[in-house]
Amino acid sequence: MSAVAVEGVWKYYGDYPALRDIRLEAAEGTCLALIGRNGAGKTTLLRIVAGFSTAQRGKIRICGKEPRETETRRLMGFIGHGISVYDELSALENLTLFGKLYGLADPKKSAHEWLERTGLERVRNGLVREFSRGMRQRLAVARAFLHEPSVLLLDEPFTALDDRAIAVLQRLLREALAAGKTIVMSTHQLREALELASHVALLNRGQLAFHGERTQEMVDDPGYVYARYGEGG
Amino acid sequence: MKYLGQIATVALKDVRAELRTKEALNASLAFALMILLLFSYTFDPSKEMMREVSGGLLWIVFAFAGTLTLNRSFARELPNDCLDALIAAPIPGSALFLGKCFASFVLVLAVELVSLPVFGIFYNVRWTLQLPWLLMVLLLGTWALTVIGTIFSALTVNIKLREVMLPMLTYPILMPALMAAMRLTTVLVNGQPIGEDDVAWLKMLIGFDVVFTAVSLALVETVLVG
Amino acid sequence: MTSGLMLASLFDASVWAALAAAVAAAAASILFLRTRNFFYDSLALAATEIGLVLLAAGILAGAIAGRLSAGLWWTWDARLTAALVCWLLYAPYLMLRNAIEEPSRRAASAAVVSIFAIFDVPAIAVAVYWWLARRAPTPPIAVGWMILPMTLLGTALAWIRLRQEQRRRAQDAERRTAQEI
Repeated sequence: MSAVAVEGVWKYYGDYPALRDIRLEAAEGTCLALIGRNGAGKTTLLRIVAGFSTAQRGKIRICGKEPRETETRRLMGFIGHGISVYDELSALENLTLFGKLYGLADPKKSAHEWLERTGLERVRNGLVREFSRGMRQRLAVARAFLHEPSVLLLDEPFTALDDRAIAVLQRLLREALAAGKTIVMSTHQLREALELASHVALLNRGQLAFHGERTQEMVDDPGYVYARYGEGG
Repeated sequence: MKYLGQIATVALKDVRAELRTKEALNASLAFALMILLLFSYTFDPSKEMMREVSGGLLWIVFAFAGTLTLNRSFARELPNDCLDALIAAPIPGSALFLGKCFASFVLVLAVELVSLPVFGIFYNVRWTLQLPWLLMVLLLGTWALTVIGTIFSALTVNIKLREVMLPMLTYPILMPALMAAMRLTTVLVNGQPIGEDDVAWLKMLIGFDVVFTAVSLALVETVLVG
Repeated sequence: MTSGLMLASLFDASVWAALAAAVAAAAASILFLRTRNFFYDSLALAATEIGLVLLAAGILAGAIAGRLSAGLWWTWDARLTAALVCWLLYAPYLMLRNAIEEPSRRAASAAVVSIFAIFDVPAIAVAVYWWLARRAPTPPIAVGWMILPMTLLGTALAWIRLRQEQRRRAQDAERRTAQEI
């Protein structure tokens, strides 16, 4: 049973198919880089996998279960385009809130731990509204990892991150992979993503153009996959 | 128990965030006071006049000022894409919905409880004669306002012209509840108990609350996820 | 038959036709949410639109009838007033559809509104009756001969509207596909 299974998913906007018969899997402990140009359907697919919208046809299975079930949601961590933390609350309050929503045994303790791991312990009582961009991004990462999810879904996570935040995220993702977690990451930053990825999937106009293991050629020349299987850049 | 804890977590988060900024609360209160002032200019508040219109006036104030708070209920989740995080959290959609309902309920009620004494002062009305019953009608009517306002706040959160669509959708639906609350409030503010004629309105208000809370809970997942 | 009676019958018939449209729209909305088949969404839209058109005509007729018989443009008759409130209840359905660009989201949101509205219709009827009809006893809405032609007309119009909406959806899909290329 794979950690993430996309089984024949079709997504329509009215009569227009934005995603056509997507079939792919990510085994436990692997990192899948989802690549494709703008509008190819990466965000649409990721959001369906995460349970934010539903596909008209096909199924998503997370560790064999429906993504919208409460127990399944506990297993998933999501980082989207926004940081998904509250400006009016402090860093500590934000993480404690999500700790409670995720049913952690000791939300405050977990919050402190993850503030530590993302380098935000010193500013834990500061309101997010006053944080710098990099600090906000690190808090977003802390929020996603807080409940130790088995499956991490990241939508262009490296975009608009500063160097420190990139380093923190890469470190956490490597640790997660080493611990057997599964990562599905859509990306434009091919280099950072391909370094971490064990598998690659290319989406082209809503269809899966390539799905397989990451090879050395891909790391050496990130444009390789596009040139070979897609429509050039 | 855990379910109640989840509702409480969401509700407390909303109330705490609102108390930090007080944006909606201040706007709502200011709006309520403005309406009360404007109406006292419109007509000379004689005793006979107030006998007739007190309930109507009060609930217009509550409904319109309340909309400012209710609009923010889900709109506050838009900055930073916080709504995604709430929907992704392992809490039932109904817990998220009820948490927000309770938070809005408390905030709207707060504005109402400030407006009542101001109303009494501006219009020289002793409204405390049937206080327990009046408070009960206040709670029932505010719940109707809150439930409909919250579910439609969720429905309209991502659309164009949200501030216009929310009142357009909620006021027609609320009409039966508002009519009941207005009638009952007029009677009670006059110091009369709820008579035979008006018990039906009380039943209407309770029925409205029960039915529309149930319908909202049944449709909440569709509204949140689509 | 005097014009006043004719108009009053028109009003009565339009209310029943609009009610049938509302029930059809609610049923279509529920079916859409169950099956996610856009045919039901188009059906709900067609039913609601035609219902609103017929009801508007009826309310106008009823107002004119009131003017002819009682000299007032708005008689605060319980039936007329309840019809107006119900019209105001369903008009935002169309506004909402215009405000949502994405078809799936639009259909789901509209379906929710339609379901809320149908639950509200009896509440509005009862509330307005209690408000207006207690002092001036008002008979319930008559079941007259105009119901049949009105309903047939409504069904035909809804059918035309339904086809039109299905064609529009297909064109929209083509347009999105063309934009991709």
